[in-house]
Amino acid sequence: MTSITMEEESKLLIVLPGDQLPESGLMEDSSAAHRLTLGPGLAPMDDDSITAVKAGILKHNAVGNRWWVESNQRRYVAAQGESIIGVVTGKSAEHYKVDIGASQPALLGVLAFEGATKRNKPNHNIGDLLYCRVSMANKDMEAELECMNPTTGKADGFGELKGGFVIKISLGLARRLLDPKNLVLRLLGQHIPFEMAVGTNGKVWVNSASAQHTILICNAIRNSEYLNSAECGSMVKSLVEKM
Amino acid sequence: MSRLDRTRTSAHQLRPFFSSQNLLNRADGSAQFDFGESSVMCSVIGPAEVKLRDEKLDKATLEVVVRPLVGLPGIKDKAREQAIRETLEPLVLSGLHPRTGIQIVVQTMKDDGSILATAFNATILALLDAGIPLKSILGAVTCIVDSETNQILLDPTTQELANAKSTHTFVFDNKSSITSSPENKDQEEAVEVATLYSDSTGLFSEEEYFECAQICYKAVQAVHGFIRTAVQKKLEKEQQQIHS
Repeated sequence: MTSITMEEESKLLIVLPGDQLPESGLMEDSSAAHRLTLGPGLAPMDDDSITAVKAGILKHNAVGNRWWVESNQRRYVAAQGESIIGVVTGKSAEHYKVDIGASQPALLGVLAFEGATKRNKPNHNIGDLLYCRVSMANKDMEAELECMNPTTGKADGFGELKGGFVIKISLGLARRLLDPKNLVLRLLGQHIPFEMAVGTNGKVWVNSASAQHTILICNAIRNSEYLNSAECGSMVKSLVEKM
Repeated sequence: MSRLDRTRTSAHQLRPFFSSQNLLNRADGSAQFDFGESSVMCSVIGPAEVKLRDEKLDKATLEVVVRPLVGLPGIKDKAREQAIRETLEPLVLSGLHPRTGIQIVVQTMKDDGSILATAFNATILALLDAGIPLKSILGAVTCIVDSETNQILLDPTTQELANAKSTHTFVFDNKSSITSSPENKDQEEAVEVATLYSDSTGLFSEEEYFECAQICYKAVQAVHGFIRTAVQKKLEKEQQQIHS
């Protein structure tokens, strides 16, 4: 049993399943000052401790005393509010069945699009790529999707992705690609114009003027996962030079 | 004293560890673990769809497949499947993924003794790589009581196993604590261990069994430390661009 001590905030604090958060009367005192919010990767155990259940980096946000573990995996588990890329695998009168890379296909209501009515609804075929938002997800049921912003009712970028190419990457890399300061995307953008959609389910859609450019971008993204900034720069440079 | 395995001088010395993670690109998680010349690779797929007849309403269904070095799987492999599955079932937080399946495939790559312990360690690394939620990690090690010298030898090779009076494999989690009195550093208190799995064959006494358990427990701490280092290195590589 390892109790984690938060000494250096700057060092990466790596936890494994079984590691416990530092005890300081966390569970007994339920006043607002001591209330904790647990994010992914942490769970309360029978012995009243808070234990990590995934291997990853322990993160803490003082606002709301939030604790979570940043971990990486390849298999997607649906969570509400996330934007994901799915493939239509089936069609019924009321729902599309969409493969999102989770254990079960998700359901997308036929009317869950901007301005869709019974008379005027979009017609998608099996194999179509859709950029959707997870409207409902829990562990017991199939996830439900929608292709619009729930508050405004507008499409806001959700909908069909035409053309292009999709690659499967790890969930951690997908999250890093969503960072506006992401290095490999910035470097690629200096040489090749392209458009891209990132699904937090580990799927990335890339589209550019030629197939060669598209494949180059996909390879660069895949390669960048375990490289540092310098290696990333030289990797992109060598790919672009070969073009 | 000298062991049959000439590369090691001490009875309580383990062979060098080696591990590799995320090596298969079609599995959700994969890992390879080596104890010296014994090597086992493990792949994990899940949480994924499961056949209706195997579906559990409130938990994930764990399936373990063990493949031997040569030939078709036999009874020994079936016994190993059961050992791994029954040890992992309480460890995996399967309640978080009801009506899904987690399939674990264990393949022996090289066999120089202590294969079950190697398989356990490869499996836990693969589960960590796949991001399956776990209550704790585990670590496994094998030891034998030598028939000639009656000595307890850790992590035996195939050659040493042939000379064993009894063979013991132990699996421990990383939640048990060892209590030792600070006054007499030489004498340690009885270990309060939570053994996840224990398998013994051959002729042995009760004292020999508990002595083996103690020795294996200490050795497993090194395995746990190695697993932690391996995972740390992988995570640091992933985070390089953000934190460099």
